[in-house]
Amino acid sequence: MAHLRFLLRRAVQGLAVIWIVTTITFALIHLAPGGPSILADPKLSPVERRAAEERLGLDRPLAVQYLVWQRNLLRGDLGRSYLYQTPAGRTALARVPNTALLAGLALLLSLAVAVPAGIYAGRRPGSAADRLLGLGSFAALSVPTFWFGIVLIILFAALWHLLPAGGTSTPGLEGSPADRVRHLLLPVLVLAVPVAAEFARYVRSGVATAAHAPHVAAARARGLDERLILRRHVLRNALLPLVTIVGLQAPLLAGGAAITETVFSWPGMGRLGVEAALGRDYPVVMAITLGVAAAVVAINLVLDVVYYLVDPRVRIG
Amino acid sequence: MPRSASALLLVLLVLFAWAGPLLRRTDPDALDLRHTVAPRSAAHPLGTDESGRDVLARLMAGGRVSLTVGIVATFVALLLGTLVGAVAGWRGGWVESLLMRGTDAAMAVPPLFVALAVLSIYGSRLWLVVGVIGATSWTGVGRLVRAEVLALREAEFVLAARALGRGGAGIVLRHLLPQLVPTLTVAASVGVAWAILTESALSFLGLGVQPPRASWGNMLTGAQASLYTAPRLAVWPGVMILLTTLACNGLGEALRRRHTR
Amino acid sequence: MTGARPGDWTRCDDRRLGRRRWPIGLLALILAVACTASSPAPPDTLRLALINDPILNPVLAPDLGSVMVNKVIFPGLVRPDERLRPEPDLAESWTASPDGKTWTFALRRGVKWHDGVPFSAGDVRFTFERILDPRSGSLLWSDFSVIDRIETPDSLTVRFVLKTRFAAFLTLLGYNAGIIPEHAFHGRPIYEAADFNRRRPIGTGPFRVVDAVPGASLTLEVNPDYYGAKPRLRRVVFKLVPDASAQVAQLRAGELDLVTLEPASLPGVEHAPGITIREAVVPQHYYVAFNQRRPLLKPVLVRRALDLAVNRRAIVEGVLKGSADLPVGTIPVALPDWFADSLERVPYDTARARRLLAEAGWRRGAGGGGGGGGLLRNDIGEPFRLTLLVDKGNPSREQAALAVLQDLRAVGVDATMQTLEFAALVRDYLQPGRYDAILIWWTTPPDPDQYSYYATGQINNNVAWSNPRADSLLLAGRGETDTVRRRAIYLAFQALEREDPPVLVLYYPREVQAMSSRLSGVPKLGVRDALRHVEAFGFR
Repeated sequence: MAHLRFLLRRAVQGLAVIWIVTTITFALIHLAPGGPSILADPKLSPVERRAAEERLGLDRPLAVQYLVWQRNLLRGDLGRSYLYQTPAGRTALARVPNTALLAGLALLLSLAVAVPAGIYAGRRPGSAADRLLGLGSFAALSVPTFWFGIVLIILFAALWHLLPAGGTSTPGLEGSPADRVRHLLLPVLVLAVPVAAEFARYVRSGVATAAHAPHVAAARARGLDERLILRRHVLRNALLPLVTIVGLQAPLLAGGAAITETVFSWPGMGRLGVEAALGRDYPVVMAITLGVAAAVVAINLVLDVVYYLVDPRVRIG
Repeated sequence: MPRSASALLLVLLVLFAWAGPLLRRTDPDALDLRHTVAPRSAAHPLGTDESGRDVLARLMAGGRVSLTVGIVATFVALLLGTLVGAVAGWRGGWVESLLMRGTDAAMAVPPLFVALAVLSIYGSRLWLVVGVIGATSWTGVGRLVRAEVLALREAEFVLAARALGRGGAGIVLRHLLPQLVPTLTVAASVGVAWAILTESALSFLGLGVQPPRASWGNMLTGAQASLYTAPRLAVWPGVMILLTTLACNGLGEALRRRHTR
Repeated sequence: MTGARPGDWTRCDDRRLGRRRWPIGLLALILAVACTASSPAPPDTLRLALINDPILNPVLAPDLGSVMVNKVIFPGLVRPDERLRPEPDLAESWTASPDGKTWTFALRRGVKWHDGVPFSAGDVRFTFERILDPRSGSLLWSDFSVIDRIETPDSLTVRFVLKTRFAAFLTLLGYNAGIIPEHAFHGRPIYEAADFNRRRPIGTGPFRVVDAVPGASLTLEVNPDYYGAKPRLRRVVFKLVPDASAQVAQLRAGELDLVTLEPASLPGVEHAPGITIREAVVPQHYYVAFNQRRPLLKPVLVRRALDLAVNRRAIVEGVLKGSADLPVGTIPVALPDWFADSLERVPYDTARARRLLAEAGWRRGAGGGGGGGGLLRNDIGEPFRLTLLVDKGNPSREQAALAVLQDLRAVGVDATMQTLEFAALVRDYLQPGRYDAILIWWTTPPDPDQYSYYATGQINNNVAWSNPRADSLLLAGRGETDTVRRRAIYLAFQALEREDPPVLVLYYPREVQAMSSRLSGVPKLGVRDALRHVEAFGFR
C-alpha cells in the first residue's frame, strides 16, 4: 500500500513538472514580440496577414489560446505546424528515430571507449597513461562541437573525399547498409567525443577510489585473484553511479544533437527544434518541449522506482 | 593539468584580454574593406578578418566579452543554484519538495533549447545571453548545495548556533555558506568553461553575442566562410576557447582533488 | 596525485591486453569498410540543396526553397525566358483587349497531370479562385487582387477580366503562380491538404515527386507525359542542408551539383577542381530605408546628402567580393529593358554631402568624434543621431551595415547599429514605422512596376516616401502597355529618384552559383527562374 502511494505521488509530481514546463514555454513564446516568422514577410499585405492570424487562431486573446491548446492536448491534438501545416505531434515524432539512432550509437561508442580507458587509467593513478587520458578528456570537453564537426567535414569529405559530408544516405543507394554506416561515422563521433570524456573521468575516479577501499584491501589480503577482485569488488562499486550519470546526460545529449544534426544535415529532432525555434513555429516548439519533458520525467520516474526497489528506505521528496 | 599551471594560464588570458588593449591601441571594430582576410603584417600581427578588422585586437576584445560572459553567467548560475539548494536543504518539507520539483522541471528541458527559444524570441542582447546561459546551468549546483546543506543541517556547530537562537537565514549565511566554498569553487571553474562553450554554440546558430561586438564564439562562426582559404581565422579563436576551457577545467579538477583529499 | 599505489595493479595487465583491444579492432573494421565503399555519383541525377522542408504548393509557399521546388513541379501559364520576358508555358498563346483589361489565354492541348488526369481550364480557374481567397492561406493575393473575374468559355480557354489596366499582369503569371489541380483537393481548404502539400504533390511539370523524407530529402523522377522538351535528367533530388558551410563542403565532396553562395564563401570554392562559378543578375535592390516620418530624415537635402556619403564601391568590392552592381535607383540592372543605363551611378562624394548637410542646417562641431571634425549639430545644438537596424545572421548584410555606419559617422552623423531577428525587425520596427534606418532589400517580380513600394500611402511603402510626381509616374507606368512609352515613364522615375531619393539604394546583388563543371544547360538566370527550365539541364 505504501509502495503504491509512493509511486502514485511520484507520478502526480511528474505530471506537475510537465505542466509547469509547458505552461512556462507557452507563455514565453506567445508573449514574445515579433510573432511567428510566417507573418513577418515584409510583402504580406494586411489582408493576407489578418486571414493568416484568423486561420492560426492568433487573433484570439492569449488566455483563450492557452485554454484551447490545453483542451486539444487532452484530446491528443498538438495543433498544426505553422511552417509545414502538418500535425505538430506527428511531425516531431517522425524525427525521433533518427535522433535516437544517432544519440544511441554515440552513447554506446562513448561507453565502449570510456569504460575500458577509465578502468585502465583508474588502476594506474599518476601513470603516463592516466595523465594522457586526463589531458585528452579535458581537451575533448573543451572543443566547441560545431567547430569540431566542421573541421572533420572539411578534412574527411571536402579535401580527402573519404566520407560523406552530411545527410543520411547517398541518392540512389538508399538501402545500402555500408552507405548508411558511412553517413553515421562522423556525426556519431562528434556527438560521442565529449560524452566519452565525461564518462571516462567518472569511471577513472570511481575505479581509483574503489581500488583503495578497505574491502578491496581485505580481499587482496585473503589472497583472492586480481581479476576476481577487479570484477567483483572494484567494478561493481565504480560502475553503478555511471547509470545515473548516463541518465543525466540525456538532455545534454539532446542539445549536442541539435548542433551536430545542423552541421551534418541530419534530419533529427534536435534540428527540427532549432528550426522551429528560429522560425517561431509555436506548435512544433510546444510539441518538442512536451515530448522531451515527458521523456525526462519518465526516465527519472523509472530511476526512482529502481532506487526504491533496491533500497526501500529511500523516501525522496 | 596542475593547479598552478591552470591558474597561471587563466591569469595570462585575463591579462591578454584586459591589459592587452592598453598596450596595443587598435580599434577592434574598424573596418578596412580594401584589406580583407589579409595575411600577417607589421600593422596586423595576426592579419585581418573577413571585414578587414585587426584579428589580434578582436581576439583581445572578444576575450573580454567571452570571459565576462563566462564569469557573469557562472555567477548567475551559482547564485540561483545556491539559493534554491540552500533554501530547499534548510527548510525541508513542502518547500523542499516544491523547489526540487522545480529543479526537476528545469533539468527536464535541454538547456540549449531553452536558450535558443528565449534568444530567438527576445533577441540576443548581451545581458540576455549571459542571463540565459546562467539560468540554464544552475540545476547541478542546486542539487549539490542541497545535498551538502542536508548533510550539514544536523552538524554540531549548526545545532549549537541554533541553540543560541540564531535565525535560519543567519545560520545558513554565516555558518553553512563558508562550508560550501570548496564545492562552489569547483563548480565555478567548470561553469566558466561550460558558459564559454555554450556561447560559441549559440553564436554558431546566430544567437550568441551579436556583431559588431566581438566574442571568441562569433569570431569562430564568422571564420567559417574562409575555412578553405584562411583557416587561421578559425584557428585563433578556437585556440583561445580551448586554452580557457582547459585552464578552467584543469583548475576545477585540481581543486576537487585537493578538496577530496 | 592522491596516494597512488600503482604496483599491485599493473601485474595482471599483460594477460588482458589482447582481449581488451577488441573494440578498437571493431572500430577499425567499420572505418575500413566505410571508407572503401565508393559513393558513385549517379550521372543522371541532379542534386540541389534546400535549407528548410518545402511546401509543395505554389499558392501557399512563402520561402525561396519552396518556390525553387515548385518551379520544377508546377508550371504556370507563362514562364520567364532568358531575358526574363514571358514566354508560353501552359498557355500556348494569348491576346489582350484594346483597353488592356481583358486577357484571353489559349491553353496547350493534351497536357496531363502527374496522376494522368487531363489538365483543363477549370484547374486554372480553381487556382486563381484560391489565390484570390485569403482565407485559403494564399500568399499570392496581393499579386492578383487586380483580377475582377475569371471566365472559362471552354475547357482550353481562360479569360481574366481585370479591374484596371495592369501592365505587369503577364509577368506576374510567370512569377509564382504555378497551376494546381482542382481534383486533388476534393473541396477541402488547400492549406489542410497536408498529404498534397508535403508528400505527394500533383503538377504538370517535367518531374514528379516520388519520395519525400521530412528533414532529409525530396526525390523527383522524370514525368514521361511532360508536354515540353524531353528532360535530359532522370532524377532531381533536393537535399536538406541547413548550414551554409556544409553546403559548400557537400559541393566540394561531390554530393551536391549546384548551390547558391554568400559572396564571402566564394574563396572556398573558387579554385576547387570540378567546380564552376557563375553569377546571375537578379531583380533585387538592397537599400537603407530612412524613415521619413522622422522630421530628421524628411528633408530632401538630408537624404540627398546621405546618399552621397556612402562608399558603395568599397562595399561591393570588400563585402560582396565584386558580386554586385552599383546602383542608379530602385529599378535593378537585372531588368535591362527598364534599367536607366544612361544615368550615372550614384557617386561617392563626401565633400558634396557635407555641403548639402550644411545647407540643410547641419554643421560640424569642433573636435569630439574621430575622422576630422565633430558631430553634426543644428542651430539649437542637437546632434544628428540615428540607429541603423539590420537583421542578424547574414554576414554580408551585417558587414555592409557596418560599412554604412562607418561612412555616416565620417560625415558627422552620430550613428549606432543594432542587429535584430528578421521577424522582429519586420513586424515590430519596419511595418509599424518605429525606426530611423534599416538595411533591408526588396525582391521584385521582373517588372518595373513599383507602385506598391514607392507611391504615397501604398502597403509596401514602409519609408513613408511621398512625391506627387512619382505617384503619377508610377500610376501611369503600371497602366501603360506600350513598351516604348512605358520605358520613358520609368526613365523619368529613375531620374526623379536622384533628386529626391526614396531610399538609399546600396547595390544590386548578383546571385553567385557554384556548380559541378559537368552540369550543362543551365540558363543564365537566378536559380529560381532557371529551375523552370530544368528539362534543359544535363550532365556532360
